[in-house]
Amino acid sequence: MIDGGTVEVIRHYFVSTGEQMRRTLIQTAFNAVIYEVHDFGISIYDGDLQLIAEAPGIPEFLGANDYAIRKGVEHIGVENLEPGDVALLNYPYWSSSHTYDAILFAPVFVPGASSPQAYLAVRAHWMDLGGKDPSYVLDSTDMHQEGLILPATRVVKKGRIDEEIMDILRFNSRMPDLIIGDFNAQLAAMRVGEQRMVEIFEKFGLDVIDQAIERIIAHGESVARDAIRALPDGRWSAEDWMDGDGITDDPIRLAVTVTIDGDRMIADYSDSSPAVPGPVNLPFGQTQSMARTIFKSMTTPQEPTNAGHFRPLEVIAPPGNICHAVYPAPTFAALTTAVGLELIHKALSQTLDSVPACSAGDMTTFDLTGIHPRSGELFSISQNEGIGWGATKEHDGGNGLQHPCTSGMHNTSIEVFEQKAPVIHERLEIRADSGGAGRRRGGLGTRRDIRAVTPVEILAMHQKTRTRPWALQGGKEAESSAMIAWPGTPRERALSTERFDLEPGESFHHFAGGGGGYGDPLEREPERVVDDVLDGYISVGAAARDYGITVAADGSWTADERRTAYEQEGRDGQ
Amino acid sequence: MKPGSASRYRIAVDIGGTFVDAVAQDVTTGELVSVKVATTPQQPTAGVLEAIVALGIPLDQVEVVVHGTTLALNAVLERKGVRTGIVTNEGFRDIYELGRGDVPFEHMYNLRYEQPRPLVRRRDTVGVRGRIDHEGSVIEDLDEAGLVEAAGRLIRDNDVRSIAVVFLHSYVDPVHERRAADLLKEHFPDTTVSISSDIAREHREFERTSTTVLDAYTRPIVDTYLETLEEGLRGAGLERPLLVMRSGGGAMSVGEARSAPLMTVFSGPSGGVTGGANVARLSGRDRLITFDAGGTSLDACVILEGEPTDVFEARLDTHPVLIPVFDIRTIGAGGGSIAWMDRDLLKVGPQSAGADPGPMAYGRGGRQPTVTDAALCLGYLEPGELFIDGRSFSLELATEGIRDQIATPMGMDIRDAAAAIFDVTQARNLGALREITVERGMDPREFSLLAFGGAGPMLGPMLAREMGIPEVIVPSEPGVFSAWGMLGADLVHDVGRSVIEPLEAETLERLEAVFEEMERAATASLSKQDIDPEHCDLQRRLDLRYDGQEYSLGVRVGSGESAESIRSRFDAAHLERHGHNLDGAGVEIVAVRVRGVGTMLAAALTESPERSGTSHRAGRRTAFDFATREVVEFDEYLRADLVPDDHLSGPALVRDPTSVSVIHSDQRFHLDRFGHIVITREEDR
Repeated sequence: MIDGGTVEVIRHYFVSTGEQMRRTLIQTAFNAVIYEVHDFGISIYDGDLQLIAEAPGIPEFLGANDYAIRKGVEHIGVENLEPGDVALLNYPYWSSSHTYDAILFAPVFVPGASSPQAYLAVRAHWMDLGGKDPSYVLDSTDMHQEGLILPATRVVKKGRIDEEIMDILRFNSRMPDLIIGDFNAQLAAMRVGEQRMVEIFEKFGLDVIDQAIERIIAHGESVARDAIRALPDGRWSAEDWMDGDGITDDPIRLAVTVTIDGDRMIADYSDSSPAVPGPVNLPFGQTQSMARTIFKSMTTPQEPTNAGHFRPLEVIAPPGNICHAVYPAPTFAALTTAVGLELIHKALSQTLDSVPACSAGDMTTFDLTGIHPRSGELFSISQNEGIGWGATKEHDGGNGLQHPCTSGMHNTSIEVFEQKAPVIHERLEIRADSGGAGRRRGGLGTRRDIRAVTPVEILAMHQKTRTRPWALQGGKEAESSAMIAWPGTPRERALSTERFDLEPGESFHHFAGGGGGYGDPLEREPERVVDDVLDGYISVGAAARDYGITVAADGSWTADERRTAYEQEGRDGQ
Repeated sequence: MKPGSASRYRIAVDIGGTFVDAVAQDVTTGELVSVKVATTPQQPTAGVLEAIVALGIPLDQVEVVVHGTTLALNAVLERKGVRTGIVTNEGFRDIYELGRGDVPFEHMYNLRYEQPRPLVRRRDTVGVRGRIDHEGSVIEDLDEAGLVEAAGRLIRDNDVRSIAVVFLHSYVDPVHERRAADLLKEHFPDTTVSISSDIAREHREFERTSTTVLDAYTRPIVDTYLETLEEGLRGAGLERPLLVMRSGGGAMSVGEARSAPLMTVFSGPSGGVTGGANVARLSGRDRLITFDAGGTSLDACVILEGEPTDVFEARLDTHPVLIPVFDIRTIGAGGGSIAWMDRDLLKVGPQSAGADPGPMAYGRGGRQPTVTDAALCLGYLEPGELFIDGRSFSLELATEGIRDQIATPMGMDIRDAAAAIFDVTQARNLGALREITVERGMDPREFSLLAFGGAGPMLGPMLAREMGIPEVIVPSEPGVFSAWGMLGADLVHDVGRSVIEPLEAETLERLEAVFEEMERAATASLSKQDIDPEHCDLQRRLDLRYDGQEYSLGVRVGSGESAESIRSRFDAAHLERHGHNLDGAGVEIVAVRVRGVGTMLAAALTESPERSGTSHRAGRRTAFDFATREVVEFDEYLRADLVPDDHLSGPALVRDPTSVSVIHSDQRFHLDRFGHIVITREEDR
């Protein structure tokens, strides 16, 4: 048996291989969504397709390649794979994402071995593969409106790129140079990974590597199982509602039942809505990644991920459910994960006091496109607005942060935005009182006002403007997101997910939601309430209404009868 | 420096986390003296003065003192800056607090992430009317009365002592910021005012605000510190200038540093990189990686063709700063990294025992074994050897820790367990070195490794043999190399400005005036620092990007160079860095930069006098050889006893006052004519 030092050395080699692939991808990618927004995921598997290391760019791609590569290898047949082959997969029901996330995967053959000893996968967001509309598709009703499909197609065979297939890609994209450039970047990352993996196998030998992989995965599994074992056994359910599917305004139910049974956890989404006509259905692999993100945060948040970490988790969603889309259900605009991510927390909050209240539960994204008056050319720019995060037992929620599904992303600078799009910002501020009140207050959302200088088209993407983000332990719900077009005019309208046009001088106000509160607001320390008022995080009115504290301009304060009675009750009860 | 100085010595002094390092070089002979004293966190100038006095050099014979300080950095890390307010556009006072909305990478899966409190409280931020658009047109006039009234509230009611003024698009036209500064200075003469267009005239409002806030937050503190230090040195007899090391290389006068404190934040590590660049240039190495392993951190920087790689944006704790800095990466941990069992796997770090309590062998209460303890068990360090404060290493304590916490649980003997700790440490460092080279499309095997810091000479050679790096250089005085590097710093002044324009002949014609204005500013600043304008080297640079990209690449440009020529140089740089070009795409200018360099008496590497004969061996001792993975006899030398160009074979230990070079049995080494230990592979013989 090999020693624990050697296992750790080999583990570092694997993790660093993933990291080197990540840096190669960022260094060589063509489109900013890859090298700035980090909309990608990189994974390394052993010969049995067990995950041994990964380098995701954003949390929601956690383990997302696992489902995809199994389906892809199964489709091609492992016996048909040869050294130098690279396959391309974006069939959403296998790829675990929408059609513009293109996955390249490849077997790694170690000299002398007859079957693949490892596999590599690199997923990245491509700018266009011929969907029905430019940019995001918001109202497709079947997959065939969402662009060209590649079902694990070998685009590189024995090391040679198939130029005929590349031509098909080129002729099916509105931005052929970008996607071919990104394809090459993914391929470059793959080559770096392949070279390192072969070196590692040659350095340590197949037998030592096999033992090390087994130990690495067993270690991951035991850490995760111990973390789950420390939780109480039981079964808890939770539900939440999203705005609609882009076709109708009917709210859509998402639900989970979480079971903890000894050292394992089951997340069952069967009670969620059946699949809907519009493009908000989730491929099953994406549902699995959504559940894994929370599972990882609760068990092994600091460790580089391997297959063992997820062995104690079972994810269930029956085919035909919104959480398990089947052909030809549309999946393009599945902001569903933004609402669904924290449902496991909501279920477990019935037994655990360590989970946070909900974030705003929405990605609150908008894109602007149009013809720039100065260049005469098409421009397209997006904004990923910050939202409030949920309060925890110990601390207030964060203000204006990216949604936890995409927490490493950035908002777009106002100055860069105004250079690229013919608009002027009139405000970007923290939304006072938008966080749910509580002993610990939910994080605050933001308000952004934008006025068009010349005509622009806006794609608004929201999923939580009609219901409020949930709170915990007596805290208050937060304010929801909102997109108000033509504010203060007779045309004023609240929008969720749709396209609209602004003429010169017209404007919109964009409100990002806050996070839920935690604990009874009457228990919040008066000094914190006063600080919140002086900093303008809450209004004087909210301090009185929610916290029972009247704050004067000089910072002096008095408690009202309700609060005094509450405190008295607390003392008497002790 | 103006010629004609008869001064004999130059001094550099570098404050680290634990020690103040000072070196003095005799300009006439090249001879070096060095000292280390403990830092004095309560009164930082005391330790600096103590170190300088301890050198025993008469200060009236000193030509220059160069100082690397961590004061501004610590003020931010410890949140001990002055109460700072922000004055910005109405409706935008939360740009600073909201930032870019990203959660740090290391908190990717932390849904209970606790956002750090901003340095400026929201109550200390105000918006005033007035707006400029992205082309520099004033679309609303500045509300001057409102500005004075709002700032007055911050100063009088909130006790704000320093104000950061940041208006949208001020990088295009700073007119409102400059007017605001005049008004504030007129009405509130006791308040420090920092305006963003002076400090970082670059686009992206949050990063510019963060930089301006940090300036306002630290300036009064750095100002007082440098004033006190300069007075102290004058009192001790120094007649010549005190210079401060800049984060992005070069040095500046105290006056300059007092008005631009952020330029000093990474001044300590930048000494090592400057020294590395000098070694690379003077010894003719094109590609070099600096490998600075101390007690608590391990920093690396890539040097290409004698130039350290640099960037114009850095992070100070969680705060972005738009200042030129060397691209130094912390890639792992130093001698203090803790080894521990995570179930059946052996881990090293990320926790560090630091200097206090330090490794178990220090006997100061450290309860977990570290890399330094492993080094003792492997035979590389001398038990009983003295540290600076007079205590000695205890082999017993080190052995006990490794036996009980690592060897016994793993079922190994102590030497093998200690070797496993080195293996794991090395696997981390090795991955990190590959990562910082692969992201430039390069391979670490194309580089020389310059190993310094307390643990660098011990860890560097074994890392090189594992990675196939052909050569390790251990400079003389590796323990105080960062301070030595400062001796060779030039005076530097950088000027930069965001200019968003297409790269076209017409734009370049217009920018000629901007370049000239910036060159005048750089020259003026250097002449104020005693550099003769004729000795100023002015370097022009453009930051460029393809249309649609956000981040840019810097390209050196010549005076009057054509757009086509610049374009083709940018294409080449992009190809090298990113592996492709965008042939059809337009190229956009993002920033115009000028660097003024005033050459001082460059710290030459001094060549040792010719000596022949054989090196004197101090002894032999048994230690662990990573080439054979066995305990073997190592030859032991003191560096002073090595004869230049006497080529010797490992296994060997070469001792310096505060470090040891560990050379394994498949390696060779010799002292070169500059006094560097050069370690190469036996197979390359």
